[in-house]
Amino acid sequence: MEKPKHKVDPKVGKIFLVFAGICILALPLVVFSAFSFNTQAKETALIEAPSMDFDHNGKAIFENYDRISREYIESTSTERTLAEYYARRQYPGSPPEIPHPLEAHGIDLECLTCHANGGWTEPLKRITPLTPHPQQVSCMQCHVWPVTDKLFREIDWKSVPPPRLGRAALPGAPVPIPHDLQMRGNCIACHVGPGTVTAIRVEHPSRGNCRQCHVPNTSTQPWQR
Amino acid sequence: MDITRRQFIKSAAAQSAVTTAAVLFPGISFGAWKNLDSGGIEWKKTPCRFCGTGCGLLVGVSGDRAVAVKGDPNCTVNKGLCCVKGYHSIQILYGKDRVTTALVRKNGKLVETPLKEALDLVAGKMQETIKSHGKDAVAMYGSGQWSITDGYVSSKLFKGCIGTNNLEANARLCMASAVTGFLTSFGLDEPMGSYDDIDQADVFITWGNNMAEMHPVLFSRMLANRKAKNHVKIIDFATRTTRSSQASDKSILFKPQTDLAVANAICYEIIRNDWVNRDFVKKHVSFHKGKTNIGYGTQDHFKFKDKAETVDFEAYKAFLEDYTPEKVEKLSGVPAKDIKYLAALYGDPDRKVVSYWCMGMNQHTRGTWINNLVYNCHLLVGKISEPGNGPFSLTGQPSACGTVREVGTLTHKLPKGVVMQEGARKLAAKIWDVPVENIDPKPTYHTVEMFRALDRGDIRFMWIQVTNPMVSMPNLNRYRDGAKKDGRFLVVSEIYPTPTYDVADVVLPSALWIEREGFFGNSERRTQHNEQIVPMPGDCMSNTWQIMEVARRMGFEKQFPWPQETYVEDIWNEYIQFHDTPKHRMAPYKELKARSGIQWPYVNGLETKWRFNAKYDPAAEGDSFDFYGKPDRRAWIWLRPYEPPAESPDNEYPFWLNTGRILEHWHTGSMTRRIPILHRAAPEAYVEINPDDAARLGITSGSKVKVSSRRGSLTMKASINGRGLPPKGMVFVPFFDESYLINEATLDAFCPISKQPDYKKCAVKLERV
Repeated sequence: MEKPKHKVDPKVGKIFLVFAGICILALPLVVFSAFSFNTQAKETALIEAPSMDFDHNGKAIFENYDRISREYIESTSTERTLAEYYARRQYPGSPPEIPHPLEAHGIDLECLTCHANGGWTEPLKRITPLTPHPQQVSCMQCHVWPVTDKLFREIDWKSVPPPRLGRAALPGAPVPIPHDLQMRGNCIACHVGPGTVTAIRVEHPSRGNCRQCHVPNTSTQPWQR
Repeated sequence: MDITRRQFIKSAAAQSAVTTAAVLFPGISFGAWKNLDSGGIEWKKTPCRFCGTGCGLLVGVSGDRAVAVKGDPNCTVNKGLCCVKGYHSIQILYGKDRVTTALVRKNGKLVETPLKEALDLVAGKMQETIKSHGKDAVAMYGSGQWSITDGYVSSKLFKGCIGTNNLEANARLCMASAVTGFLTSFGLDEPMGSYDDIDQADVFITWGNNMAEMHPVLFSRMLANRKAKNHVKIIDFATRTTRSSQASDKSILFKPQTDLAVANAICYEIIRNDWVNRDFVKKHVSFHKGKTNIGYGTQDHFKFKDKAETVDFEAYKAFLEDYTPEKVEKLSGVPAKDIKYLAALYGDPDRKVVSYWCMGMNQHTRGTWINNLVYNCHLLVGKISEPGNGPFSLTGQPSACGTVREVGTLTHKLPKGVVMQEGARKLAAKIWDVPVENIDPKPTYHTVEMFRALDRGDIRFMWIQVTNPMVSMPNLNRYRDGAKKDGRFLVVSEIYPTPTYDVADVVLPSALWIEREGFFGNSERRTQHNEQIVPMPGDCMSNTWQIMEVARRMGFEKQFPWPQETYVEDIWNEYIQFHDTPKHRMAPYKELKARSGIQWPYVNGLETKWRFNAKYDPAAEGDSFDFYGKPDRRAWIWLRPYEPPAESPDNEYPFWLNTGRILEHWHTGSMTRRIPILHRAAPEAYVEINPDDAARLGITSGSKVKVSSRRGSLTMKASINGRGLPPKGMVFVPFFDESYLINEATLDAFCPISKQPDYKKCAVKLERV
């Protein structure tokens, strides 16, 4: 703020007085907010976390869980379908393309203002999905925005089908994790909240320790002595 | 700004609502996902096929198809992260127009031919040409996309068996100035440091380098370091504003070619402020000057040989008097205070500094000089060859270092040493089992001169593998016309139809990347092995095997005896005999097969992360630095002046033309354009124009503009306020698009020392169409 100084003007004195008054009134607010729940700071801490790998940095995942409100976690409205989710990918697990236009300029650190927090996006009239890896900030390194549907040359591309859902070992048992966890170890980004796809949203979103019951399905071979 | 953006998104949202159904499944056939069983994906390691970063990938294989990619967490280069090209790299295998049979031109048309017949024809034509026009009438042209074994057998065939030095590679257009920079300053090629420096430096200064798009994985690693430590700074020093500029703490723009003067001004300031590391300079540095006014090589048969003269520190100081920040400000447009700021970053003893560069400094008519001058900045302050400190030359192709620089697939090189040295010829003759007289002691043509020789008719037969010169050569019209002349015979080993394929007399179908076993070598002296992961389609054959088939037909069975099952391992074992000293020892085959890349020198089971420093380098003597590449065991500071570029804008051609790459496409785009998501994100080339220039000329974004130079012209769409922002008076065109061959306009002027052309500076005019 530009402060007037060294001018002999009665108005200046008044402005100073009002300013000082505002400062005194604002002080308790500043102190209070410093010791209260500060979303901004927590978000920053989250984004600065080195990785979201459960086995090596599970703390970041739990902090991420903590900072997201119960209302968000239990919210269920969504419009995305699993088909739409996979249609943005060339194979299950590939970086999805960006489905909305964006400013082509810059490295786009702005992506995270929406995709680190989720919630309703008024301009797109949609609920923003969360990224499972907000610690990566150079988003356009992997995610690009297609500007045409045409191809340069035809391709004979075949991918594997997306993992089948609900393959619990016993009736009612917790399902194993059917996908790779690299870059996608932060379960709640894709499995809880309004931005998720209904078919893969969990029914008990308030339980924070997902890996207590759900384990990765890394081998299809039965154990043998 | 905010309002425009909101409106932009709003209008797009309305539009997207209408086209949602169409947008849902573009480009890929969703149905095809169910064709393969997801039960057993097996993950296999390989280096990425694209740039010189050398990311480790894990390729998911289902049946005999590659179906998925993830970053290899065991590879220290990328630690599990890739870029969009890497994640979709496996799709390059499956373009429907893949070349899977041999083709021979008959009555002007390429006709499918049995592979054996095509190989007979290649061998026969080569022998016939040697007989009628001499051995120096046949040539081979490869690239840094060659696997190490491809380059090795081509060197053995051409230099050892046929006896011609007509062997060159696209790396001449890409890395030659880096090589001559290393050789003149340190006596040995390739960086002293490694990517570990990225995690340890305090300051990054990038010289004419857009790492956010060209080396995105390394750039992300820099951003992660900056995030973890609040004081880390990234300084972008460039001629154009890019994504990297925007992510940097400070972007400093200079006028093309004046980086030479700014580098000298930085050194002037370091000395003036007494920031010189006197102990380091006294013990480890010597001063030298070379020839000046050295020309540009635009004429055929251009020759230049530099001559070094040893001088002292006082002479260097006097030389720098011409480069005060104030004088250089006038020339370069860089404010004196920014030059002083850069000098202070290099000079501050408490900050570790890494400099990065790639094509901006290498594709430069004084490319060797600017490499020398950036080394000077580091040498004066002793910030080199230790963790977090050092100059680092990045590479553009996956094995420019591994195959071209280490195997030596350039006219003057042998796997160890140069053809001019008797000792080097004797060693090669012994390992190759050929008479020493076979190896010609005289280098022949560097790349530009080689294509000039093809045009003139001095070369009659050329075999091109793994590169696309009919898109990538500068002053392209001349070299394409030359290649099409009567009496020229072109063999092209290819994977897809390209403009180079279009001028071929014989096309040989090549196995690609993970369809064959091989090795790459990345920018940080890391050798990376991949096994064959998927089968070769049709008649495809590895480039190594193609060369061996032809060599055997020419009567060199003795030199190429290896069986199909083990030839890659056998060639590796023969090749590493060349490098069996602590200065360059390579890892054994078994270990390379097991690990995600190993850095050389690899001595007693240990990689060398920092060369020339006795703490880390087994070849260094004493207890501190030892620049053993030079006879005086010192690093050389060079007195290199500013000299103007070969062609500058004038009244008739008032704009600089700058060319380069973009994130989505790699080199000439023959692979990345066949990847659906990459093509759909960047379907065609464009000309970036500064908004002020565009307004003055009445050009709007998306409208057609004719770009012309003295050599050629093309009409393409304008991009204003797009991804990059050229300064007033400059335009930028990416070169990936074969429909808009910008190299028809570029100039074939080159650095007289490295012979590498300058693709970043020539003069053009713009016309609204």
